[in-house]
Amino acid sequence: MSAPRGSARTAPAAAADAWRLPPAWVLLVAVLLIACAEVGGASMVQFKLELSRWARGQMLARPDVHGLVGVRDVDEPVLDEALTKFDAGLRLFHLHGEGMGTVIVVAAMVTTTLVEAPALRRAILLLVTVGGAVYPVGYLVWSALIPYQGLARSRAIAEWAVWIPFGGAAIAAMWLLTAALALRLLRRRPAGAVP
Amino acid sequence: MRRPPLALVFLAVLIIAVGETAGAVMSWLRPTVERYALARIRANAAAHGLAGAPEYDEEVIARAVFTAEAGLSFLHTHAEGLGPIVLLAGTLVATVVRGARLRALLYGLLAAGALFPLGYLAYALAVLEYGRDEGVALAERWVLTPLGSAAIVALAVLAAALARARAASEPARADGAARSTPPA
Repeated sequence: MSAPRGSARTAPAAAADAWRLPPAWVLLVAVLLIACAEVGGASMVQFKLELSRWARGQMLARPDVHGLVGVRDVDEPVLDEALTKFDAGLRLFHLHGEGMGTVIVVAAMVTTTLVEAPALRRAILLLVTVGGAVYPVGYLVWSALIPYQGLARSRAIAEWAVWIPFGGAAIAAMWLLTAALALRLLRRRPAGAVP
Repeated sequence: MRRPPLALVFLAVLIIAVGETAGAVMSWLRPTVERYALARIRANAAAHGLAGAPEYDEEVIARAVFTAEAGLSFLHTHAEGLGPIVLLAGTLVATVVRGARLRALLYGLLAAGALFPLGYLAYALAVLEYGRDEGVALAERWVLTPLGSAAIVALAVLAAALARARAASEPARADGAARSTPPA
């Protein structure tokens, strides 16, 4: 890999067909996200019982929110479903954090190397980094809100506050990058050529 | 590190974009996907073995819808995973593999492997059109197995090429070290 664009170590030293390093802040965000996801996965296993007990306690303290009626046969399936979703939210944060961290690094590397227009390059980097890093946090938000807001409302909040805007940003970034590469492929410009 | 041909990079990025979009479709458009699945299953009632008995049919329909949704879910996870793998493997091929013909073969196999996640889209659609068991078998035989095998073969050959490159560099390194050692 060669140094980022704009650095003093660029062009002459770098091979024309080498990858360029994405900006440091992008790599930092991606690595932090992967680290948080790993810690999330470990915590999920280590504190599974405590987390479950805490969520159950919070739900029992809010019977109206969860539609609990005080009859064990009715309440237990409701609590079980909410706890399963609570656990699923933590798992999905772990999975998406690790996955999106990798996608951010890969997309940023391709963007930095192959997208020539500076404005488009900056836009894709911003969208994929911010969108990709915040989107997985939506699963944590969802999990954390389930005991307080109930299943449907917590999902709606996470969806409109996090998943749609930030997930949408990451998707838009990937399609912009795909379009930029398709254009470049159609024009068949020599790789790494200075415009 | 050298980068692979633009076409392979494009394919890897396209697959990641498709994977992300599939995740969104699965979540935001779930009711629409379910409605479409139900409509296709009813339109292909014979393929699904629907008998006209509501209790039996409901179970068959539920299983078929679940399998079709699982196909979309596999598309999402495999595309997000395989895109970066193809890019990384392509980078290693570009950097480490010497012969132009072998490089071209590996790029071709990786490109085919990059399409593997789309096999799960075929899987989901085939389940709806040909019935659960027949659809799964068709997708596995004609799409998933060939494309998945291409990825596996590419990675196995790349691993062999890496081992060979390492073995070739060992004597050269030892020779270089011996030459640089000053005489006593």
